[in-house]
Amino acid sequence: MFSPMNHIAYMSRAVRPLSDQELQELLAQCRRDNARNNVTGILFYSHGNIAQLIEGDPAVTRPLFEKIAQDGRHSNVVKLADKPIEARSFPDWSMAFHPIDPEGFSALTDFFLPHQMPATPDTLSIADALLVDLVRQAVFGANTTAAESASVGN
Amino acid sequence: MRDQELQRILRHMPAGIATLLGPELRYGFVNEAMQALLGGNTPEGQPLTDVSLPADLREVMQKVYDSGSPFVAKAYGLPLLGSNGEEPTPRYFDIALEPLQDDEDQVHGLLLFAVDVTGQEEARQRAHELALETRRLDARLRVLTETAPQITFTVDAAGNYEYVSPQWYYFTGQPPTADLDAIWPLLVHPEDRLRVLYQMEAARKAGIGWSHEYRLRRHDGQYRWLLSRAVPELHAPDQAAYWHGAVTEVHDQRELADALRRGEAELRFLADSIPQLIWTATAEGFIDYYNQHTAEYTGSSADELGPTGWVSLIHPSEQSSAARRWVQCVASGESFDGLFQMRRHDGQYRWHIIRARQLTDARGLRWFGACTDVDDQHRLREVLQHQYDELARTNRDLDTFVYTASHDLKQPLFNLRGLFDELRRTATFDDEEHEVLLRMVDGALGQLDVTLHDLAATVQEQRQLTAPTEAIDLRSVAEEVLLGLRVLVEDAEATVNLDFKAAPTLIYGRANLRSVLHNLLSNALKYACPERPPCITIASGMTEAGKPWLKVQDNGLGMEVNKDANPIFQLFDRQHPHIGGTGVGLYLIQRIVTSRGGHLEVASTVGEGTTFTVYWFG
Ligand SMILES: Cc1cc2nc3c(=O)[nH]c(=O)nc-3n(C[C@H](O)[C@H](O)[C@H](O)COP(=O)(O)O)c2cc1C
Repeated sequence: MFSPMNHIAYMSRAVRPLSDQELQELLAQCRRDNARNNVTGILFYSHGNIAQLIEGDPAVTRPLFEKIAQDGRHSNVVKLADKPIEARSFPDWSMAFHPIDPEGFSALTDFFLPHQMPATPDTLSIADALLVDLVRQAVFGANTTAAESASVGN
Repeated sequence: MRDQELQRILRHMPAGIATLLGPELRYGFVNEAMQALLGGNTPEGQPLTDVSLPADLREVMQKVYDSGSPFVAKAYGLPLLGSNGEEPTPRYFDIALEPLQDDEDQVHGLLLFAVDVTGQEEARQRAHELALETRRLDARLRVLTETAPQITFTVDAAGNYEYVSPQWYYFTGQPPTADLDAIWPLLVHPEDRLRVLYQMEAARKAGIGWSHEYRLRRHDGQYRWLLSRAVPELHAPDQAAYWHGAVTEVHDQRELADALRRGEAELRFLADSIPQLIWTATAEGFIDYYNQHTAEYTGSSADELGPTGWVSLIHPSEQSSAARRWVQCVASGESFDGLFQMRRHDGQYRWHIIRARQLTDARGLRWFGACTDVDDQHRLREVLQHQYDELARTNRDLDTFVYTASHDLKQPLFNLRGLFDELRRTATFDDEEHEVLLRMVDGALGQLDVTLHDLAATVQEQRQLTAPTEAIDLRSVAEEVLLGLRVLVEDAEATVNLDFKAAPTLIYGRANLRSVLHNLLSNALKYACPERPPCITIASGMTEAGKPWLKVQDNGLGMEVNKDANPIFQLFDRQHPHIGGTGVGLYLIQRIVTSRGGHLEVASTVGEGTTFTVYWFG
């Protein structure tokens, strides 16, 4: 049966810097809820800059985005994309960020340090890949965007 | 028994009780509580000592004893020693001093009664401190509300003003006696009045705060934009009793915002009227505006394109390089600049120059971009380039043809010359004119030879034009050329003056320079005036702009200079048909000089002479 899919991307600012603890909690919660709702995507976090792309059934992603946008942990949520897609580009939920203490995070799975981020998947159209690259650059700064950086799982 | 009972009760009472007897105030009955108060050591019959009670209290005791009238000291502080030598802490007692009288109403002692009121006293002191603090805060609040550049107010549930800060009176110029409830609405701008009254009433009914802007008349009659914000004070859930708020003047901000909005609208209008693709992007590189023409041209709306959709309009083979370049530009702030094929609504890819520059101002950083359709120009250029290549090839072919032809004709000419010489040597002619005819044939053969030679030289010279340049000593080249023309110079008895002092060297192609000098000199010798021996001057110099020139001046026949025709020297255009020559010479000079960026000028008077000036560059 044909099931429609779309992706939504946005950028925002944390109302105050998120601690490693808070990031871990967010990561755990997203992983649990998104798996249940069949939502995949990627979340970028660095020094209060947030960007996220979620993909799934629009009947799920649209209300989820509304809920995330209302989340008091961040503000200035700017939606960048909301459009139908053919296939998922981030089949495993993942998250990339600059933890304050990278040591404590080495045991975690499903997350990348910014310099370990895999290249933007080529299942994306060039326009969407450009969007992800710009978002990544906006969150992490110019020198971590290199698509050639080492790739970890996916 | 009852006495004993009483004694026991008194002894254990929590209040201190003691009798002090005689003018020396000796200890009589001292219960436990009082004993603790007096330091524990109260042997009966011993007088009160300095250590047990403070001097002022003992003095008062003495006075009560002497006067016989009782006295109560309220909340009297006594530093009590802690149980095991701790720091003394002040405790407070209400101390009653009652004279004890004997049967004859004579005072013979004092009854000392002490109740510990430390708890009450501390509570009272705290209450006092709190009152002070409250008064201080109150004063601070008043200073704040009355000095902040805002009007503050309190409205009750019925909408009546309970309080308004003095700023309201300064702003409106109303007397302190003004009836706020009646006057305030009247000072609101008529266009805003109904809206403001409605909004305030709606908020009061709903028990929520408000935030709205309106114009209020200032003391000078001018209406100024104000922002009014208020929050409810809830006395029970869902039951607001008062609204406290502040009114801030936002006139200038609003004017500025209006001006910005107007400016923005004008810019948009401008951008929308331009038949080009115009867009702006955020600091992060996301396009946030495409002009109207973009939708018309591409057939995609701004929404369909989205923040990065422009890249999908570019030819698929160039999309990823354009995307990469854009990411780099956003990172570095460099301008984006490139030639790309972009898809028009009809599916045709057309060449565009895409350009984007970053602008940073007080409102932050933004990108401004434009895509210009240069397809027609691009195609035209391609056609021109094609034609140019074609022409250049034809030109080369022609050169080769001329060279080959002149070369190939040399042999038959050589043969012809040989046959003619042979004919002249062996044959006999009947015609008496034969000498003239033979001379004419001889001359024609000679001229044909020169022409062929010159044509070959022209082609060769053409190839020399791309030769590298070097610094050349003019004198040595001139002497070299003169040596080649020695026979002509001597035959004509010509004088040649060389003057290269002003500019002895020239940076030029050596073969080209030699060719120019050779042709100018041989012309000067060829077109000499038969009445006088030729006098030729060759000189070099610099123009005021520092550009080198070379002049060859003769005193020969001179010629008509056609001022309108420029270039004046056409191939084979000969002014003196009676004089032998091919006319290729001047054409050749012209070609050399102009192709290296210079020009040739001529001044001449018929019968007096000619001056050629070569401006090597410019
Ligand atoms: C930056 C950010 C990203 C988030 N991403 C997700 C997400 O991908 N999936 C999700 O279920 N919740 C996400 N949340 C959390 C939601 O906003 C919300 O707190 C969560 O879904 C729990 O909502 P509930 O208590 O209504 O179930 C995110 C929150 C923030 C601040």
